[in-house]
Amino acid sequence: MSEEILKALTQLFAIITKQDSGVSERERQYVINFFQTELDKDSVKEYLELYDKFSEYGQTSEDDNKKRLTSVRDSVRTLGICKKINKTLTQKQKVVVLIKLFELVATDKNFSPQRMEIINTVSNVFNIDKEEHELIEHFVVSEDPKSLKFSDILLVSSEEDEGNTTYKIIHGHIEGSLVFMRVKSVDMYFTKYLGEESNILNGFTMQPNRIYLFSHGSTIKTQAGDAIYYSDTISHYNHELKTTKLSFTAIIDELQFPNGAIGLRNVMISEGPGKLIGIMGASGAGKTTLLNVMAGLVKPTKGQIMVNGYDINTQKDEIHGVIGYVAQDDLLIEELTVYQNLYYNAKLCFADFTEEQLHERVMEVLTNLGLDQRKDLRVGNALDKTISGGQRKRLNIALELIREPAILYLDEPTSGLSSRDSENVIDLLKELSLKGKLIFVVIHQPSSDIYKMFDKMIIMDTGGYPAYNGHPVEAVTYFKKSTHQVDSNRGQCETCGNVNPEQIFNIIEAKVVDEYGQPTTKRKITPPQWYELYLEHFKINKVADVTEKPPHSLSLPSKLKQTIIFTTRDTLSKLSNKQYLLINLLEAPLLAFILAIIIKYRSSPDGGSYMFRFNENLPAFLLMSIIVALFMGLTVSAEEIIRDRKILKRESFLNLSWNSYLMSKLAILFTMSAIQTITFVLVGNLILGIEWSMFLPIWFVLFTVACFANVLGLNISSAFNSAVTVYVMIPLLLIPQMILSGLLFSFDRLNDVISTKGKVPLVADMMASRWAYEALAVYQFKHNSYEEPFYSFEKVESQADFKGSFLVDKLEAKLKYINDNINTKSDSINKIIQKDIAILQETITPDYFKKGLEEVDLSTPWTKETFTPEFRKTLETYLGNYKKFYQDIYNKAVSARENLSFSMENAEGSTYKLNDYKNKYFNESLSDLVRNVSVKDRIIEFNGELIQQINPIFVDPQPSGIFDYRAHFFAPSKNLLGNSVSTFLFNSLVIWLMTLCLYITLYFELIRKALTFFGNINFPIKK
Amino acid sequence: MEILNLEGTEDTPKIMLDKNNGIFEISGRSLPEDSAEFYRPVLEWIAAYGKEANPETEFVFKLEYFNTASSKLILDVLSALEDIDGMKIMWYFHEDDEDMEEAGQEFSELVEIPFEFKTY
Repeated sequence: MSEEILKALTQLFAIITKQDSGVSERERQYVINFFQTELDKDSVKEYLELYDKFSEYGQTSEDDNKKRLTSVRDSVRTLGICKKINKTLTQKQKVVVLIKLFELVATDKNFSPQRMEIINTVSNVFNIDKEEHELIEHFVVSEDPKSLKFSDILLVSSEEDEGNTTYKIIHGHIEGSLVFMRVKSVDMYFTKYLGEESNILNGFTMQPNRIYLFSHGSTIKTQAGDAIYYSDTISHYNHELKTTKLSFTAIIDELQFPNGAIGLRNVMISEGPGKLIGIMGASGAGKTTLLNVMAGLVKPTKGQIMVNGYDINTQKDEIHGVIGYVAQDDLLIEELTVYQNLYYNAKLCFADFTEEQLHERVMEVLTNLGLDQRKDLRVGNALDKTISGGQRKRLNIALELIREPAILYLDEPTSGLSSRDSENVIDLLKELSLKGKLIFVVIHQPSSDIYKMFDKMIIMDTGGYPAYNGHPVEAVTYFKKSTHQVDSNRGQCETCGNVNPEQIFNIIEAKVVDEYGQPTTKRKITPPQWYELYLEHFKINKVADVTEKPPHSLSLPSKLKQTIIFTTRDTLSKLSNKQYLLINLLEAPLLAFILAIIIKYRSSPDGGSYMFRFNENLPAFLLMSIIVALFMGLTVSAEEIIRDRKILKRESFLNLSWNSYLMSKLAILFTMSAIQTITFVLVGNLILGIEWSMFLPIWFVLFTVACFANVLGLNISSAFNSAVTVYVMIPLLLIPQMILSGLLFSFDRLNDVISTKGKVPLVADMMASRWAYEALAVYQFKHNSYEEPFYSFEKVESQADFKGSFLVDKLEAKLKYINDNINTKSDSINKIIQKDIAILQETITPDYFKKGLEEVDLSTPWTKETFTPEFRKTLETYLGNYKKFYQDIYNKAVSARENLSFSMENAEGSTYKLNDYKNKYFNESLSDLVRNVSVKDRIIEFNGELIQQINPIFVDPQPSGIFDYRAHFFAPSKNLLGNSVSTFLFNSLVIWLMTLCLYITLYFELIRKALTFFGNINFPIKK
Repeated sequence: MEILNLEGTEDTPKIMLDKNNGIFEISGRSLPEDSAEFYRPVLEWIAAYGKEANPETEFVFKLEYFNTASSKLILDVLSALEDIDGMKIMWYFHEDDEDMEEAGQEFSELVEIPFEFKTY
């Protein structure tokens, strides 16, 4: 109490007592007593002098006979003092002051109207309700408990309840009455004793007719040995308790861990509403396990957990929102403010609330938890602290409280908190339990005050054995008694009322001492022995099952709304993380800049300025762009789910939609990827001088790849437990993408096991990079402004040229070989001839040119016998014509192309210059790549087929069926269900399809499930 | 505005509140049975007056005695007057009545209105 307030009180005492007849000795003694409790010895004197001065103690009144009126000066001074007190004291403290004033007057029973009027005025200025004023007055003044006709009065007496009394009455072995008063507005309880016995309140003997504050965890021991506990008393005042329909029964016969060890045995807990239950135990005794099992996070091997008769593991839907769980670590979104954390949580819980109601609810909870002043602070993390540990803890609890679950589980809510913060937190829980909630708290090393606040304590022993289940203070005596200790009936310190919960564990875990007096590792009483004692002493009665659905106030928003809420919440949290934002937004343009600047290579023959046409690095640049897109896509998403795991764990009690959550992730990540790829392409294209018409297609492919990488990243993020693992996974996912992209290593020159000549290998088909690269290269080649008008001509040219000069030569050589060796007897040569015949037939049959073959049967397979000399002659002539025909086509196509370019250049007003266009838009290296000019054999034989190696870009694939999607690398078009589709479109579709598949695996968490499945296989290890 | 005019008795003060003539006065003895009830019309009148107050108001307190309960209500009256612009309190006390003078001074510390002290 501050000096100022104490002075104010002194004056108030003085003004009241000096009225009418003046200060009596007893009144003065009361004031001295009061000073003695508040002050040290020296100050008592000082304040007493002050009191004497104000109260005019010792001064004889001049007019004793006349009934004096309160002087106007005293009246106004009283007002001044009260105003001052109003500014500093809380309402609770003011109630205490008021009680003190009444008590002061009551010491001498001098209830003159003047005195009472002053007290009335004081309580008036203190804004104390009239009815409560009256209640307090009667409670303090009255000596006959039966005259206290208030519903907020509770009597403990030996008399039976006669019914129809206004006050409450409970039976107790006590002489006289113990009176309790509740001051409802401030939720305080006071007590006084009217009688002759000496009862003990928190270790102090209660003076008769003196008012005591009955605070949390208080106990009164009567002379007869009854114990009256705070929580029991309070429960008589609470109506909510009786209206909450809740029954909780946990019967856990056994819980086995995956490794075979037993976590819990024969634990039975059955409780109704309005209890605060502590769970204690040595470390490793299974406290958290027990909590998790009761909360339904872990399924017991044998047994079940019932809430109002619903099994929480199998009938989750019936009781969703009933359970709240506060884990030991913070489950907060660090980037958001205290308010935002709560607000979005509330938004997910209360679909039917308006914005205003939401705000009110959030503010109400914040105020209740004393966090309203901190609402706009960012939560931060352990390193970047903005709010204190106690506030974080309270916020964690607030997140659960806001939806008012009927059953709340907390795992060590006080760990790491100061003793004051710890008390605050438990006090809050106590209050909630008094409102009808059932609360289980795992607690470690509680202070005496905290320990006493619990209604019940469950003590677990090593190995998951229950050791105690009952009143906390009794626990000490139980364990002392069981080990026959001397002072076994003393649970708490007789003078200070302190309980030392440590004692319990000292007894439970007491070690056998060896002959040298050193404690051994053997326990005096083993867990099973304690368990036997437990069975003897504790019969747990199952509370009657409530049959109606448990109360819950949850109404979930629609899935779409959930997505929107998740997205907004996540976006806000990302926006507030400046580093994250900066790196992610700058990464792409910076990489593009570095990459493009480095590879902007000029190799133009005249040695002049940079020319796009001669930049040899373009193919590599395209590949790098894809790798960058993959990399950015992966890194940006890889941590997403891991980071949210803890929040997801908390929200798992809400049954929110997993799909909505994932969709929100996709929305954010895809947007991020779109921005990143746009900036990347923009910078890269500008520096390298890639034409604008390429901008959108390149961006689209990179965006597609990045989205694929996003979903892939989410997959690994959901599958693994730590961010490190995830980042180690990234190279594992990226490097195959690089190897099998088609640029670094030619698909024709891979290990025979995987490669297929003339087709892209199947393993490569699983790589998004290969699809993307092909799409980019083919599109860039086919659709650049130079090539676009001529592509179709060049395609005809190239195919005619190939057939007229290379293919025909090969066929003629084969025919000649057959001619020369047709009569051989050698088996090996015969084999070659067989094969060559087949090749000849297969190559000729599908060809367009058939002149001179009208007489020949193409449908039946040719054999050696078919090859009569006449037949050979026919083929020779045919091949000669074949050659001429295709050379003719080639020539026509060349001249058509030249005509076109000539007319384009010479069209009226045209600025078209063939060479300029080529320099600006065409790239020689890329062209060489897609035309495969460096290949040694333009045509190869493979599996009885002639395969064209050169100019893949001009060869359309020949699908063998409508589902045959496979083609050679850089094919200009693909087969999509029998239709020819451009490679660009087809490849993009493939990547999106892969993305969709990954989304499905993500949705069902297939990778995670597979990992857990393999993780659960036990390899017996011999010991 | 209507004039509020209450005749004084042995236990209640005389009250005259007249906007048009600029007379605002509480005088005499104040120890009513139920002071809150007694001062209610006064507080209501002041609230109404506050909405259309004269530019200058001289509010006169010329009290002989008031009890503790009344002191609270007088403080309420003063607090109500506090919000009105151009307000000034004329605190009269009998030249022998030190108590009343000091009471006036205490009041002047509790509210932010200029007080002028006069004897009669």
